[in-house]
Amino acid sequence: MARATAGGFNATRGEKTFDVINIIIMLILLVITLYPFLNVLAISLNNSQDTVRGGITILPREFTFENYRVIFAYEGLLQGLQVSVLRTVVGTVLGLASASMLAFTLSRVDFQARRFVSVFLALTMYFSGGLIPVYLLMRDLHLIGTFWVYVLPGMVGAFNVFIIRSFIDGLPYALQESAKLDGANDFTIYWRIILPLCKPALATIALFLAVGQWNSWFDTYLYNGSNETWTTLQYELMKVLQSTQQGGANMRGSNEDLSKLMNQVSPESIKMAITIVVTVPILVVYPFLQRYFVGGMTLGAVKA
Amino acid sequence: MKVLQMKKTRTAAMLLLAGALAVTAGCSGSGNNGNGNAPAANSAANAGTDAGGEAKADPITFSFFGADASPNWNNMQDEVGKAITEKTGVTIKAEYAVSGGGTDKIALMAASGQYPDMVFAKGDINKLVDAGAVLDLTDLIEEHAPNLKKVYGKYMQRLKYSKEDPAIYVLPTNDSIDQTYFDAGGGFELQQRVLKELGYPQIKTLEDYENALKTYYAKHPTTDGQPTIPLTLDADNWRIMITVTNPAFLATGLPDDGEYYINPETYEASFHIKRPEEREYIRWLNKMFNEGLLDKEAFVQKSDQYKAKIASGRVLGLIDQEWGYADAENAIKTKEDGAYTYAHLPVTMSSEFKDASFAPTGFMAGYGIAITESCKDPVRAIKFLDWLASDEGQVLRNWGIEGKHYEVQDGKRVIPADIQKQKTEDNANFTKSTGIGLYYAMGPHYGDGVKDPSGNYYTTNFPEQIIEGYTPAEKETLQAYGASTWIDLFPKPSEFKERPYGAAWNIPAPTDPDYNVIFKKAEDIIWKKVPEAILAKPEDFDKVFDDMLAQLDKVNLKKAEEIYTQAVKDRVEQWSAK
Amino acid sequence: MEAYTDKTPGKQAAAGAAEQSGLSRFWRKMKSQKVLYFMAIPFVLWVFVFSYLPLWGWTMAFQDFKPGRTFMEQDWVGFKHFVDLFTDERFYLVMRNTLAMSFMGLIVGFTVPILFAVLLSELRGKYFKRTVQTVSYLPHFVSWVVVAGIVTKMLSTEGGAVNDLLLGLNLIDQPIQFLAKGEWFWSIVTASDLWKELGWNAIIYLAAISGIDPELYEASRVDGANRLKQMWHITLPGIRTTISVLLIMSIGHLISIGFEKQFLLGNNLVMDYSEVLDLYALNYGLNLGRFSFGTAIGIFNSVVSILLLFAANGVLKKVTKESIM
Repeated sequence: MARATAGGFNATRGEKTFDVINIIIMLILLVITLYPFLNVLAISLNNSQDTVRGGITILPREFTFENYRVIFAYEGLLQGLQVSVLRTVVGTVLGLASASMLAFTLSRVDFQARRFVSVFLALTMYFSGGLIPVYLLMRDLHLIGTFWVYVLPGMVGAFNVFIIRSFIDGLPYALQESAKLDGANDFTIYWRIILPLCKPALATIALFLAVGQWNSWFDTYLYNGSNETWTTLQYELMKVLQSTQQGGANMRGSNEDLSKLMNQVSPESIKMAITIVVTVPILVVYPFLQRYFVGGMTLGAVKA
Repeated sequence: MKVLQMKKTRTAAMLLLAGALAVTAGCSGSGNNGNGNAPAANSAANAGTDAGGEAKADPITFSFFGADASPNWNNMQDEVGKAITEKTGVTIKAEYAVSGGGTDKIALMAASGQYPDMVFAKGDINKLVDAGAVLDLTDLIEEHAPNLKKVYGKYMQRLKYSKEDPAIYVLPTNDSIDQTYFDAGGGFELQQRVLKELGYPQIKTLEDYENALKTYYAKHPTTDGQPTIPLTLDADNWRIMITVTNPAFLATGLPDDGEYYINPETYEASFHIKRPEEREYIRWLNKMFNEGLLDKEAFVQKSDQYKAKIASGRVLGLIDQEWGYADAENAIKTKEDGAYTYAHLPVTMSSEFKDASFAPTGFMAGYGIAITESCKDPVRAIKFLDWLASDEGQVLRNWGIEGKHYEVQDGKRVIPADIQKQKTEDNANFTKSTGIGLYYAMGPHYGDGVKDPSGNYYTTNFPEQIIEGYTPAEKETLQAYGASTWIDLFPKPSEFKERPYGAAWNIPAPTDPDYNVIFKKAEDIIWKKVPEAILAKPEDFDKVFDDMLAQLDKVNLKKAEEIYTQAVKDRVEQWSAK
Repeated sequence: MEAYTDKTPGKQAAAGAAEQSGLSRFWRKMKSQKVLYFMAIPFVLWVFVFSYLPLWGWTMAFQDFKPGRTFMEQDWVGFKHFVDLFTDERFYLVMRNTLAMSFMGLIVGFTVPILFAVLLSELRGKYFKRTVQTVSYLPHFVSWVVVAGIVTKMLSTEGGAVNDLLLGLNLIDQPIQFLAKGEWFWSIVTASDLWKELGWNAIIYLAAISGIDPELYEASRVDGANRLKQMWHITLPGIRTTISVLLIMSIGHLISIGFEKQFLLGNNLVMDYSEVLDLYALNYGLNLGRFSFGTAIGIFNSVVSILLLFAANGVLKKVTKESIM
């Protein structure tokens, strides 16, 4: 999307002051929001026995890859990764398709069922039948023990629909009108005109959907815990984390020498390393989505 | 979803919050069992199965759900697992809880009627019993399980579910039978350097303890340039019980009965914190705080800050259990030969009290394995569990395979040095490949210190090993007090009478919803008011404490205590029945 | 590009068409909108199955539910659990805390990300902009345990950054135990939440801003508007729809704010300020095996949420002409 550029724009003094202040604010934000992540990174790369002493900020004190070694030594990660990637891709595509289609119909003021569908959908954000009924439903639909239990139940997300709709509302309606005059049906309008214009909103929702799919593990535990074929990365990582917590759990009942158990990595350090392991893929994929909603805009192109 | 994220954050195994936020279930129990997974080497060495010939019958797979995590579970492809399959023909297809102690999954099992063949449900077994999901094992044990009968022996009464329902639903496997403790990890802790400098004084009462802290602190206000902290506590959530409220009864001579004091004559249960003696203990903490001896941040800090302070070596005294701070102590273990590690001392409020940490309880039945009504072959299942309880099964589960994981020298089982090294240095992988430890809770087991017919211990823990693990400073302290392990300093189990109800913490909470609500409210009040009392000005202490007692009355704690009294009485009656 | 300009007439025409009524017209119109129906109905059914069907579980609130029993075997107790809930003093305390923190969160957590998004979009360097944006959302992936740990350390009386700073500036002469004081607690939670979610919550607004017609900026620039004016007259109105929609949805969520951050930042001393409805529901519901009581709280929560939703929707419809329903 080529944005309006340069042309006769002169930076005044006030503008410059504004830019400087803005940059300073952003730099401060950069530092304070970077801190927690760097802290996690530093701890994940620090000897876990040393970490107990506290005081790690943004640099490791006793550098080690041990925490990562423990994680990657765990079998089942690769298989979990495949399932996680699959559910992320499938879940995102299905979620985007359904949300955008519904959003399109709801953006049409002339659509008869608009109000009914809006209300019907909006309410779902505020209630839940509870886990037992949901579980029984999954059982009756024969979704337990399958891949589809990850992507089908939550496919239609009301929040996503309303966000995309608010974006479509911002688009000029005349576009649809003229297409209609050319004989396009509603689906064609959706597919040919609305979707391409909605990229920023779609990219945002794709991000939300993908992160949600990528990070979830509880559904794996509920529905696929006894089915190794479909366990996800996050679930496997939960197990890794627990293998490091075992020491603590065993101690009460047995006389096993504590110091021996304690030689292993600590759950805290592993937790940090896991955070990094699951966040890095998001960071890698992120720029591909980010370009749709950040940069290349209004003044961005003006290298004044 | 926030609820779910919460679960990720949980670190401690016994978090109280860990609950049924979410209900769940899975365990596509039935179905894929039956014939699959024929044991690889069925023909090889199948001599000497205690459970008799039948056990080696056709291969069979049982599904299993365990409410405790077992992340190293290897689908019985580990060495011990293969040996078990070879002996019994049984393969276990297990799933373990990864969060919340399985509470949610078990509720879903009960609600959906989909059970695995066997289940280790911990405290949630009542849901399965209510749902009629688990079998009464009484007759199965009688007919098919000589080893189980032998191992449980005189404790058979304790297996029964309740007074009203004397069926056996669970084979308790969590607690060891006839366990002897070789070491103490609780009491009041003081750094070895404090004891050494003061010339190993007698530390028996709070006054002794306080004086030691005070004297040493006066001389050493800083440690490595940082301020010394005479005493700190960890009150982060449930840890307040371990470091504040439990010590209140321990220092005043009571054994661990959970939140209760059980009158030994009448079995009347009342919250222990209400005892006047414990008020005095809390008052002592208040005094410590107001004199600047108790860490100002004690009730604000998180566990990791607490541990960081310990790991810096500047905390002189603790009142905790070793598992609560072991990783921190470990970080400073090598410094000056262990001068900054902690001695465990049975301190009481005054000499009239005796520390009852090791008051005997007998076998604590409780958590264990149940066979569900969807189990395809309950007889095979009980025979399998029976085999695990046999001498052969127990030695296999604890020691591994002879010639591989241990050797027999002059009739004594010995773990070769290289195996021990693997076990110590990479415990996760060791467990995963050998399977030693994986089957611990799958069957009943004798505790440390019990010998098998060959004269060897069933377990791999000995006093010698523990002493070997001590730092030089610890050994020095112990020697000064004429002891070889910390437990020698504590009153012996034989000095106490065994309570006919075992220990009250082991009695399942009554299912009456009113009871649970009152209990929870009382707990909230105590967790809030006790810190407030400790941090109050000395003259306000009684006001705050009285206010706490008044609030406890207001939530009708009496009623909960009455219900619990009945539970204790029922337990006594049930356990002493013949 | 002309098509970008005027959108209102089209909308009005469409709305006008919708006002016509009469049954035959209805059917005719329905037929003419069959594609729209085809695009919507499958998802409506979907939502019905996955979200509405499990609502039978709400019956649990009127029973003493036990997991093992069938529907008919349950003990029916009427409104007992609601009475229990509304007669518990603690319930009102946790409602106060919940509402206080959620209002503070709504005010701060709603406005600051908008401000951030607008300011960020004004940055000139593309790479700097992208870097700031990427970094800003990173804390979202750091768990609350870690964030709470960092916050606790910063507020510590012993070498905590905040106390050191205040002492250094001579603003105080004794370190303050922020986390031991109930009156500070709500602010600490709000600030921590802002820190963690600022960048993440701004993403939606960034997307909305990038949907604004660039010619509007061009035109205003020709008219001599400065940057602040542009932000006020173009950017903010341009994302008004998104802001309204999010505001309506967040108001609906006012009483379900989760409990994780409050739980992890809290301690026994500030319990009376930190306990929120979701934690109460957990502690006094599911953790005690009181499925029914938990469900009753869930229903209460849903009813209040839906009332709030309709109220917010109605008010915003009047005031800004934007709504979700």
